[in-house]
Amino acid sequence: MGLLQFLHKIEPDKKKSPFLHTLFDGFFTFAYAPNTVTKSGTHIKDGMDLKRTMFMVVIALQLAYLFGTYNIGHQHFSALGMHESFLSGFHLKITYGLMKLLPLFIVSNVVGLGIEFIYAAKKGHPIEEGYLVSGALIPLIMPPDLPLWILALSIIFAVIVGKEAFGGTGMNIMNIALLSRVFIFFAYPTYISGDEVWVSGIIKEGTEYMGASYGMIHGVFDWVFSSFGWSTFGEGGMAVADGYTGATPLGLAAKGGWEAVTEVYSPAQMWWGAIPGSIGEMPKLFILAGALLLIITKIASWRIMLSMVLGAAVGGMLINAWGANPFMEVHWLYHFYMGSFFFAMAFMATDPVTAARTEIGKWIYGFLIGIVGMVIRVLNPAYPEGWMLAILFMNVFAPLIDYYVLEANVARRLARVKAKPDTAMEAEPQLSVSEH
Amino acid sequence: MLLLDSFINIFLKAAFFENMVLAYFLGMCSFLAVSKSVKTAFGLGLAVIFVLGFTMPINWLITTYLLSDTGIFGMDLTFLRFILFIAVIASMVQLVEMVIEKFSPSLYNSLGIFLPLITVNCAILGGSLFMVAREYNFSESVAFGLGGGFGWFLAILALAAIREKIRYSAIPAPLRGLGMAFIITGLMGVAFMSLMGIDPSALAGAK
Repeated sequence: MGLLQFLHKIEPDKKKSPFLHTLFDGFFTFAYAPNTVTKSGTHIKDGMDLKRTMFMVVIALQLAYLFGTYNIGHQHFSALGMHESFLSGFHLKITYGLMKLLPLFIVSNVVGLGIEFIYAAKKGHPIEEGYLVSGALIPLIMPPDLPLWILALSIIFAVIVGKEAFGGTGMNIMNIALLSRVFIFFAYPTYISGDEVWVSGIIKEGTEYMGASYGMIHGVFDWVFSSFGWSTFGEGGMAVADGYTGATPLGLAAKGGWEAVTEVYSPAQMWWGAIPGSIGEMPKLFILAGALLLIITKIASWRIMLSMVLGAAVGGMLINAWGANPFMEVHWLYHFYMGSFFFAMAFMATDPVTAARTEIGKWIYGFLIGIVGMVIRVLNPAYPEGWMLAILFMNVFAPLIDYYVLEANVARRLARVKAKPDTAMEAEPQLSVSEH
Repeated sequence: MLLLDSFINIFLKAAFFENMVLAYFLGMCSFLAVSKSVKTAFGLGLAVIFVLGFTMPINWLITTYLLSDTGIFGMDLTFLRFILFIAVIASMVQLVEMVIEKFSPSLYNSLGIFLPLITVNCAILGGSLFMVAREYNFSESVAFGLGGGFGWFLAILALAAIREKIRYSAIPAPLRGLGMAFIITGLMGVAFMSLMGIDPSALAGAK
């Protein structure tokens, strides 16, 4: 008996037990692409259905996940002045990173998918798995030490208010992952901004930084590691390395321009990503590889990515030309080294649901994100980084951009008809029907 | 140059950094009621820009030359401020109404009661009162009026486009219509917080 027959045999009855059936359906469509046609909601007329499209994005994120996990540990130990070269203490760093990342990932998915599941069962439609991508993105854009209850709260807010209120997957106006981050950003700002939160396991007592003491699980791993004769975590509570501040490149740049950044981080280090920050935003090359995968599979729009780079470059040049303070004098090229530009470009701005949907609209949308993001990053003293807010800002205007692109299209085609009334009318008989 | 600088600063500040609707939540009634379609929202938005742009300098003249104790009556008449402001706004709205009825009857009909209700649109009276409280001069009050109007116009256009887009979404029945408009307005407010806190005059001063 094959797996397919087995699955059909255990399928629960939809009428008698709707909850069980929703659960079954969710896993069944994961294993097999169904041969039935979607009757409601968004769908793609292709073997690449919603689930497989979503999953491609998750695959594109894997390199960022690997690096991010390791980097949590690497940042922790280099702040303590131990295992300073990138690969030394490998087992400690990866264990430490996993212990931070796994809870975030599990909470994110359990809470988010749980809400989707409840809604799907209540409303009687299959699970819309829009949360697969959000659930993979959300841990990557959080600081490693974020308390789990704040994460859960932000996801509840984002999924219910941002998505389910709008009718579920594919109908939201704003990016769910960014909405959950912006919720934390405004509701619990001390957990997600400033210099203290980006390196894991460092606490501040008075004005002195020191390492937090390790817990039970670290002790268990220490026992395992010592039986192999490897280095161990130890007790914790060590002093930090000399000159440690925990500041991110952007935090330094805001204070003293590019010179202040390069005193602490080298450009190569920033490019490869061994710097403190949100978990997944750093390894520029790995993120670009993910972006390439999304472009090749035609899931993300290269127009948005390209126009966003152009917008950021133009915005950076304009700000350079103004040059009123050291931060504004940071060369526009160097801005790409710092912060989360590439992550936002590859995975956030290109979200096909919340971005502009017309081709011309995508150019405008991406370009304006670039400009607005640069303005927020450099000119707004309240926020260290601009892309999250810039993308949400343009999410609001994306439907308006689309509306006017369509209007212009209708007007252009009407003008064409008026120019050649006889022939064109026959060729395009439905011109008076508006397209939206 | 300095005049132009402060003009642009105040325009940008009123339009984006401290948007009338999305930062102060002024002018909500017509913002929520007339945002069902982009076309009518466009018309109402233009009317608000016009009314704000004209009433603000007129009200500035009234405050400075009639009501203040250095004005022509030589005594402090600020208790008349509200009634005079409303009178100016009402007559300006009447003017707009007549113009729209003459040139675009269809827009006039689709705006309905909300066109004369611009009179009591709190964004407009609020704008005039902000102007007094912040002690703007004449050109600044023009900039503030036009900027505030433009910000309102942009916000209602964006809301209308979103509401047109979600018209066919599977929104839970109790939230359809106004409920969604409230939620979207709140989310738009979050998005507009991105620009809040930029102080263009401080940046120019740093040079």
